[in-house]
Amino acid sequence: METLAQSVVSGVLTGSLYAMIAIGLTIVFGVMRIINMAHGEMVMLGMFGAYWSHEMWHLDPFLSILLWTPVMFAFGMFVHRFLLKKIIPSGELNTLLYTAGLSLLLANLALFFWAGDYRNINLDYAMTPVRPFGISISVQLAIAFAIAIALTGGLYLLMTRTDIGRAIRATAQNPDSAALMGVNVVRIDMITFGIGTALAAAAGVLLVPSLYVYPTVGEILSVKCFVIVVLGGLGSVPGAIAGGLLLGLVESLGAVYVSVAFKDTIGFVLFLLVLLFRPAGLFGVGRA
Amino acid sequence: MGKLSILAAAGLLAAPLLTANPFLHHLLILVLFWTLLGTAWNLLGGYAGQVSFGHATFLGIGAYTTMLFYLSLGLPPWLGIVCGAALAAIVALPIGFVCFRLKGPYFSLATLAVAEIVRLVALNWESLTGGPMGLQITTLPEVSFLGHTLDWESKVPFYYLVLALAALAMGVTHWLSRSRLGAYLLAIREDADSAEAAGIDTVRTKVVTLALSAAIAGLAGGFYALYFRYIEPDAVFSIALSVEMVFIAVVGGIATTTGPIIGAVFLVTIAEVFREHFQVGHLIFYGLFMMLVIRYLPDGIWGRLRHFVLPRAAE
Repeated sequence: METLAQSVVSGVLTGSLYAMIAIGLTIVFGVMRIINMAHGEMVMLGMFGAYWSHEMWHLDPFLSILLWTPVMFAFGMFVHRFLLKKIIPSGELNTLLYTAGLSLLLANLALFFWAGDYRNINLDYAMTPVRPFGISISVQLAIAFAIAIALTGGLYLLMTRTDIGRAIRATAQNPDSAALMGVNVVRIDMITFGIGTALAAAAGVLLVPSLYVYPTVGEILSVKCFVIVVLGGLGSVPGAIAGGLLLGLVESLGAVYVSVAFKDTIGFVLFLLVLLFRPAGLFGVGRA
Repeated sequence: MGKLSILAAAGLLAAPLLTANPFLHHLLILVLFWTLLGTAWNLLGGYAGQVSFGHATFLGIGAYTTMLFYLSLGLPPWLGIVCGAALAAIVALPIGFVCFRLKGPYFSLATLAVAEIVRLVALNWESLTGGPMGLQITTLPEVSFLGHTLDWESKVPFYYLVLALAALAMGVTHWLSRSRLGAYLLAIREDADSAEAAGIDTVRTKVVTLALSAAIAGLAGGFYALYFRYIEPDAVFSIALSVEMVFIAVVGGIATTTGPIIGAVFLVTIAEVFREHFQVGHLIFYGLFMMLVIRYLPDGIWGRLRHFVLPRAAE
């Protein structure tokens, strides 16, 4: 029983960070109909950002989120404005290949400048896990979980209570009608891509104290992220949250009850089954 | 086209005799190896418009089959290469029937997932694959050719082997582009629904093409095993490998016979020269070229160039 509770808790904690990365991917898809293959590299950049600001300026990684989220928001807008904008109209496969090129470029630039070493940060206050009710919870994951919930909540408010949020949702529903209603669709695309990138990078910052940082870490995160958004339904934010938590749970339960070696495989098999039988996602809210 | 092809063929046959520099030999071999992979991907991705991000699966199967046939069963490597290609084609059938139920980017994501599953299985099935330790060939068998014993320490025999494989793959592509199957694929790429309405069994056509493409990737895998003599799951089943194949074909020019060789010449040469000097990050150019080509030369380098090189209406 304790083992079950333990793996559920760690599954939910990891899943919340997966969900945050996936929300970024899914809102970009919802608005622009593109699958950003370089999304995992945005997480990687966030991770390296937090790593270097800790190494060089002794900035706490959880504080550095205040620095890296806006920086990566600007970077995302820049990428959209100068790289993606001209490509998107030429079709979804071209965009897919283009972002795959961007992904390889970013990962290998990181490899070139920062070398392929596995790096991590040890936080003094997070050396020993807390143990409420006999369950061991890692401090750094618990803090990350709390910040992830706060950020997701903030995003919810942005999407529902502000003009920009309304414009983003309108563009996702129908870009032509949104444009007719006076929404500057190109600007909304750019902001959405910035938000997606910022979310990915913020999740990366939160992951740094728990996960090794290396230049190609984005690859596996991208793939997990695709699994999540397909589980939840592409384009759906609640779906991405549910999918993220589900994948976190499947991985941690699979590691305990099936096998550690095959925990990632279970996620992919689930992914294929959902793609085949429920292409709109488990909850039927996505756009297949 | 005629004169140009003969000239190119003569150049390729004579190339290793012109220089004794092993780095240049290695470079030529890699260019042809990647031509082979780009050609394999191009059959499905170029002609049929089905972008696979999982072709490393077939390369890996070819490599492991060749390795295991030789190491465990003691069968000659050439037999291993042929059986590896056949096995890759057989494995492609169920993968095709599953993944071709999906279209566009969804198909691409599905192939990516399949490739990851296969990689993880290979990584964990240690009794067969040796797991993360990989498999290694220490000595290759003695082979006599025209009275000479082939020197496996030299790169020249490998050059002619991969040249033959690449020529075979390009021959198949050339044949395909003129065959009924090729016409079906074009119809599927341009408009799958109309193709279906015109009476083409689109799933079967795509599955057959995938099997053909997988067989060629399997040949390349067999060559990889013999040339590098060491394989491990993260090398031969990696996502990066799958993606690199796509880049070779797209940069060269999709749906052309010559495209992959042009793509391989550009990307491999630049990447290897870079690797000589900096060790890491040689794939920077793959990414950069991919982005530039899609932005400025959407038909690829050869797709644009051929209009200047070839007389009108050829190819």
